[in-house]
Amino acid sequence: MQHTWDFATIFQNWEVLWVGLKGTVVMFLVTVVLGLSGGLVVGMGRYAQNSALRWPATAFVEIFRNTPVLVQIIWFYYAFPILTGIEVNPFLAAVLGISLNTMAFSAEIYRAGIQSIEPGQWEAGKAIGMTYGQTLRRIIMPVAIKRILPALTNRGIEVFKMSTLASVVAYVETLNQAKLIADLNFNPIESYTAVALIFFVVLYPVVQATYALERTLRKSD
Amino acid sequence: MVEWNFLAVLSDIDLLLLGLGNTLVVTALALAFGIPLGLFLALSRLSTIRPLSVGSAFIIEFFRTTPPLVQLFWFFFALPILIDVRMTPFIAAIVTFSIQSSAFFAEVFRGGILSIDKGQWEGAKAIGMTYGQSLRRIVLPQAVKRMIPAFMERSIELLKTTTLVSTVAYADLMFQANDLAQKTFRPLEVYTVVAVIYFLLIFTFSQISIAVEHRLARSGESTVR
Repeated sequence: MQHTWDFATIFQNWEVLWVGLKGTVVMFLVTVVLGLSGGLVVGMGRYAQNSALRWPATAFVEIFRNTPVLVQIIWFYYAFPILTGIEVNPFLAAVLGISLNTMAFSAEIYRAGIQSIEPGQWEAGKAIGMTYGQTLRRIIMPVAIKRILPALTNRGIEVFKMSTLASVVAYVETLNQAKLIADLNFNPIESYTAVALIFFVVLYPVVQATYALERTLRKSD
Repeated sequence: MVEWNFLAVLSDIDLLLLGLGNTLVVTALALAFGIPLGLFLALSRLSTIRPLSVGSAFIIEFFRTTPPLVQLFWFFFALPILIDVRMTPFIAAIVTFSIQSSAFFAEVFRGGILSIDKGQWEGAKAIGMTYGQSLRRIVLPQAVKRMIPAFMERSIELLKTTTLVSTVAYADLMFQANDLAQKTFRPLEVYTVVAVIYFLLIFTFSQISIAVEHRLARSGESTVR
C-alpha cells in the first residue's frame, strides 16, 4: 500500500493547531519560570548548614527526581484534590507536576554549580565584610551561573518536551489538538508528523545554540 | 479530614505487580535494542563518510528534540497506516523507546569514544589492528568504563519514560493504576501506592548508580556525561 502524503487537511485546520501551540507556549513559560526559579530556592536549601532546611529540601529533590513526571501529573490531577479538597483543573495539575519535577532537577544543577566554586571565594567575600546573601549574589552566583548555563538550557529543552504530557489530563496543547485533527480527518500520519516537525524546528536551533555555548564556555574557562 | 483506606488497593495488589512486571519488560527490551543501536548511531556519526555521519546526526537530533509521547503516537497511530502492518501497544512501545533511548545512548557512546586519547587508536594501528579490532579491543573497553554512570542515568530516565505506554493502553504499572483507580474509586490510595512503588524502584537504581560512580571515582577513572 502506498500512502499519499497530504498536508492540506492540516493547513485547513491551522486554527485548531494554533490553539494547541498557544497552550504549549503558556505551559512551557509557566513551568520553566516556576521550575528554574523554585529550583534555586530548593538548591540553596540542599546546600544549607541548617538541617531543618537541608532535610526537607533533600526529601523534596529525591521524591520528585525518583518518580516519573507522568505519575506526578496524574497524582496531582486525581489524588491531590481528594487529599486537600482543592479543585484541580488539567492546567494546574500539569503545572504542578512539571514545575515541581523541574524544581527538583534544577535544584541539583544549582547545587553542583555553587559547590564547584572554590571555598576561597566564600572566605574572600566574608573577609571584606559581605553577608552570606551578598557573597552569594555578587561573587558566587555570577561565576556559578556561567558554569551551569548549558545544564539549565538542557533542562529548559526537557521542560518544553514535557509539556506534551499535559495532554494526558486533557489540557489543550499541541499534541492534544493534533489528536483531535487526526481523529476528525483520519490523517494520523500527517497530524503526528506535523507535531514532531514543529518540536524539531523549535528545539533544533536551541540545541545547536547550547552546543555552541558549551564550546565557548569551555574555551573561556 | 481524609480517610485513607488502602484495603481496596492491597487486595488488588497483584494487578499492580503485573503492571510492574510489564514496565520492567518494556524497559529491559528497549535497553537491549537501544544500546546496540546507540553504538551503531555513534559510530556512524563519528564516521568520515559524510552521508553516514550527517544521516545519523539527523536521526539522533530528531529523536532528542521531539517529545517521546509524540514519537509513541506516531509509531502507534501513523506507522501502521504508512507501511501497512498490524501494530500493538507493546510493539509500538518497544520500537519507540528503543529508538528514542538509542539517540541518547549514541551521545553517551560518542562522548566516551571521543574521550579516549588519539594515541590509543594510533598505537592499535601501529601494531597492525584494523579499525574494528582497535575499536573492540582497545577503545571500547576503556570508553565503556567511563560511560557507566551516564549509561545508568539514561536507563533510569528510560524507566521513567516507559510510563507513557499507558496512553496507548499497554498494561504497564501506570495503566494498571488508572484501571484500578477507576474500579475501586480510590484514586488517592492507588496513585499514592503506585508513586511509592515507582519511587522505591527508581530510588534503588539511583543509589546503585551513585555507588558505582563513587567506586569508579576511587579507582581513578574519569567519567563522561
